Amino acid sequence: MPYLGGEEALRELRRALANPHVQADRLRYRAAVLRVIRHMAQGADVSGLFPEMVKAGAAPDAVQKKLVSLYVRAQAPRQPQLALLAVNSLRKDCAHPSPAVRGLALRSMCGLRMPGIQEYLQQPLLSGLRDKASYVRRAAVLGCAKMVKLQGDAEVDGALVNELYSLLRDQDPIVVVNCLRALEEILKKEGGVVINKPIAHHLLNRMADLDQWGQSEVLTFLLRYRPRSEEELFDILNLLDGCLKSSSPSVVMAATKLFLVLAREYPHVQADVLVRVKGPLLSACTSESRELCFTALCHVRQILGSLPGHFSSHYKKFFCSYSEPHYIKCQKMEVLCELVNDENVQQVLEELKGYCTDVSVELAQGAIFAIGNIARTYTDQCVGILTELLGLQQEHITSAVVQAFRDLVWLCPQCTDAVCRALPSCEDAVQDSEGKQALIWLLGTHGEKVPNAPYVLEDFVENVKSEMFPAVKMELLTALVRLFLSRPAECQDTLGRLLYYCIEEEMDMAVRDRGLFYYRLLQSGVEEVKRVLCSPKSDPSLGLLEDQTERPVNTWASEFNTLAPVYGRERWVLVSARPPAEPSHACSCTDSGNRDSLISEGNKEVLKVHPDTGSLTLIPDVYLTAEQFEKTWLSLDTSCRLSLPWGGTVQPDTVQTALHVVHIQTVAMSRAGAWPWKAYLSAQDDAGGLFLTELLLEAADAELQVSVKQSEARPEALQTFVSALRTVMGAVAGLGS
Amino acid sequence: MAASALFILDLKGKPLISRNYKGDVGLGEIEHFMGLVLQREEEGALTPLLTHGKVHFLWIKHANLYLVATTKKNGNASLVYSFLYKVVEVFCEYFKELEEESIRDNFVIVYELLDELMDFGFPQTTDSKILQEYITQEGNKLETGKSRVPTTVTNAVSWRSEGIKYKKNEVFIDVIESVNLLVSANGSVLLSEVVGTIKLKVFLSGMPELRLGLNDRVLFELTGRGKNKSVELEDVKFHQCVRLSRFDNDRTISFIPPDGDFELMSYRLNTQVKPLIWIESVIEKFSHSRVEIMVKAKGQFKKQSVANGVEIAVPVPSDADSPKFKTSAGSARYLPERNLVIWTIKSFPGGKEHLMRAHFGLPSVEKEEEEGRPPISVRFEIPYFTVSGIQVRYMKIIEKSGYQALPWVRYITQSG
Repeated sequence: MPYLGGEEALRELRRALANPHVQADRLRYRAAVLRVIRHMAQGADVSGLFPEMVKAGAAPDAVQKKLVSLYVRAQAPRQPQLALLAVNSLRKDCAHPSPAVRGLALRSMCGLRMPGIQEYLQQPLLSGLRDKASYVRRAAVLGCAKMVKLQGDAEVDGALVNELYSLLRDQDPIVVVNCLRALEEILKKEGGVVINKPIAHHLLNRMADLDQWGQSEVLTFLLRYRPRSEEELFDILNLLDGCLKSSSPSVVMAATKLFLVLAREYPHVQADVLVRVKGPLLSACTSESRELCFTALCHVRQILGSLPGHFSSHYKKFFCSYSEPHYIKCQKMEVLCELVNDENVQQVLEELKGYCTDVSVELAQGAIFAIGNIARTYTDQCVGILTELLGLQQEHITSAVVQAFRDLVWLCPQCTDAVCRALPSCEDAVQDSEGKQALIWLLGTHGEKVPNAPYVLEDFVENVKSEMFPAVKMELLTALVRLFLSRPAECQDTLGRLLYYCIEEEMDMAVRDRGLFYYRLLQSGVEEVKRVLCSPKSDPSLGLLEDQTERPVNTWASEFNTLAPVYGRERWVLVSARPPAEPSHACSCTDSGNRDSLISEGNKEVLKVHPDTGSLTLIPDVYLTAEQFEKTWLSLDTSCRLSLPWGGTVQPDTVQTALHVVHIQTVAMSRAGAWPWKAYLSAQDDAGGLFLTELLLEAADAELQVSVKQSEARPEALQTFVSALRTVMGAVAGLGS
Repeated sequence: MAASALFILDLKGKPLISRNYKGDVGLGEIEHFMGLVLQREEEGALTPLLTHGKVHFLWIKHANLYLVATTKKNGNASLVYSFLYKVVEVFCEYFKELEEESIRDNFVIVYELLDELMDFGFPQTTDSKILQEYITQEGNKLETGKSRVPTTVTNAVSWRSEGIKYKKNEVFIDVIESVNLLVSANGSVLLSEVVGTIKLKVFLSGMPELRLGLNDRVLFELTGRGKNKSVELEDVKFHQCVRLSRFDNDRTISFIPPDGDFELMSYRLNTQVKPLIWIESVIEKFSHSRVEIMVKAKGQFKKQSVANGVEIAVPVPSDADSPKFKTSAGSARYLPERNLVIWTIKSFPGGKEHLMRAHFGLPSVEKEEEEGRPPISVRFEIPYFTVSGIQVRYMKIIEKSGYQALPWVRYITQSG
């Protein structure tokens, strides 16, 4: 950094700023200010120039004011004392005749994130809300949200809230949307802005005036509104029909979500909406913006989850083109897998086959796994294609094919023979750990059908010393013992050598243990080994479990158009259930306004429960089995019942993690998305008293019913336990919304 | 939605410009971004949505820049991406090109724009026409521009400001259709799609009311003129200025246009179209020495039309050298850095056929790994012609002052 510690440069800048000749010439003055900003942008410490800069901000030039406010916003946290100077001149600007300057001053003032500034903000904000220029009102409305955020826990001013609600009737569309956004932030604790009938209808009427951002956000806010009657509901849907055809994909998505949620009791309406949104979604899938395309594809997958075959006639739209990035190709292949049907299976497989020989290893393997997936329904064709691919003798292709075979054989036992015929000759081409494991498993489990199975395994045993992966060695052990049962004569010698190696020479403890285990097992006789090892070789029922198709639309309607489908279901659960951000993390946001991070906040509260519970200390790691729990539960009377506010669905992992932090054990729990959702919890305090709890959520957006039973009647302990539980569930509910 | 902060990073991941709108995500978080991108790229699992801890990064790449929005909320992804693209669009309109250099040169304006585009994480004024009224390159006009009093009309038209005046009142209508076609090696059409847009360039005074008539099949059926040539449009989307209710009722497209350039509507046609320029190629590879490529192009459109600026890009092996070309029309160039031969034909009349032969030397040592074979791609533009046959039947301009205005129509078909 050339400018770091540039004392000289700083002094020169100060001289320039203070020079009356410079100050007299507007352009020179601005150029000097610009230089300061440039230094700041390059990382130099220019905080020493604060008084001069504030003075420069008082000049009439509006561009200069902007530059100064940029400076002040960046430097204020370091110089809270001097920042008050800036506040003074900004307040003066709030009464400037030009609305541009007034708006700018308001925005910069609210942008100063430092404690104690609220008292200076209140007056200018209130007059800003009544300003005649819409530009100022826009800034003022959002300014209110910023101010409340700075206040932190303090009581929200009711008059301010009313003022904002009345501004929803403003003429300027952006002011209206800003009001909604601001109210949402301000009333976060009370569950956000309330959309009642007059407001909803007012918003619906203003819809046409809004820009695309406004439209999509208003559509999101309208999710809160529950129409009173069927008639009203259909009126709303008719009014908003145009949004489904909007040119902005975000509006289309938001409208779709609103339709799906509003029509949750009318499946035919939902189906109709999904049909109508097909066109816009497809064109988003082929849009120029890759990211929008990706988002659209993710949502297409979501829809396909409930309506398989919805896009089947448009399968050609999901063929990959050469220049697309990898992530889009992957999504498209997933989509292709899901929309395959009798008519298009030939073309889809043909297309996927083309990808299998792609230069990109990931893409080729992805395509092979995709064919493997389709093979669950169209077995013969797919096995044919996969076998053909083995002929290419390409390392990554063979490895992926073998893995696909392994998964397939497990689910569709009818194709075992075909797979076994294809297996010989591919052992040389498999080099990676995953592929080797798959091959060894196949040879071990179905070795009696592969003539050269023992000799292939023997080769592996020969080279076991140079084998890198312990997992491969473990697989090899199991496979060889299994094969020994069906073809003892050919395997005995090899097995002996392998066991000797594993027990005597192997360094990895897990492998050695596995070796010892089999050794001892073999000592106890062949019958015993058979009893232990001859588990089923396939399980077709698992396939049904895996593609639980046709999840009803309502299970995901509330997630539509959020990040959840973009992450994908499994990943989203992981991302959202991740334990609260590590403390260093929270500190890295030096800004006082860390209010949004509900999670770390919730966590702090949770941890606080321990010190001040006083009479109650829950013992960690007490485990009650389900039977014990059931017995105790039935024998006790409910000592406390309450209901907690709850919004949306439940993430079981989150709940469990949160409860674990306060030493409440989760005995049993329904899976996510099940209705009614139930969970049973138990906890024990140091005095030996048991607390058994049932959580019950009848439907999404209902209240959470909690009933607690206690083994010994101690009211004060019960009180503390319930309040701890309430805090935890409150924190979790905050995350969900 | 609510993006917490917006970053513009260079290719190495160093922030050029950052703007923290909400302050709930620390500016330091961005340091994790580049690491994540690299890591995921290596795993082959790069997605436009990344996460670190509780922070989600939504990013797009433009030229040599990354634009990243961070958020902690479970927001609306398509909205954020649309916004990022909007930011790119606005910047492009200000600086012609958006890249590292232009950001560095104009960072004051960039800051000003970021300030106006978004406040507290919510998009505000994003219409570049309106922004240009009060944020100018020189920043001199500033005092006059923004003090305009907002319209007091209840039904304010947010996309058009009042009091616009032109000496000559004109409207230019561009009907642009782009054809996306994918043809397999054996000549069957895998994918065909026509995406059409109607773009307007409006130089009209006051608050004019425009009506556009197309040869839309649904409309013709409504009015009983089924015999005329008509087009069935699918997936029609309009600019927000179009009154959708009227379109739904009687299929008239009526609107108050914004000033200057804008896209009035877009549509899609799913009908099978035959390739406008048919390409056949023969590649003969003599191992270890040379490769000969013969490409034949045939214009399969009306004789009266002429395709302009036809560019046929033929991929060649990356280790080819000493190119020799023979063409029946136009010229061919070898671009070794892209492994392509570009054959350009300035004008290509319909029904004609052209040939190109290319000859390359190959090194005698063959490369081990197999190369992907990218498809041959064609770029072209055919003026005064639309594949779909869409026509502008009339454009009516009504304004209170009753001036005369001239509409101009132009049709172009281009490659997608």
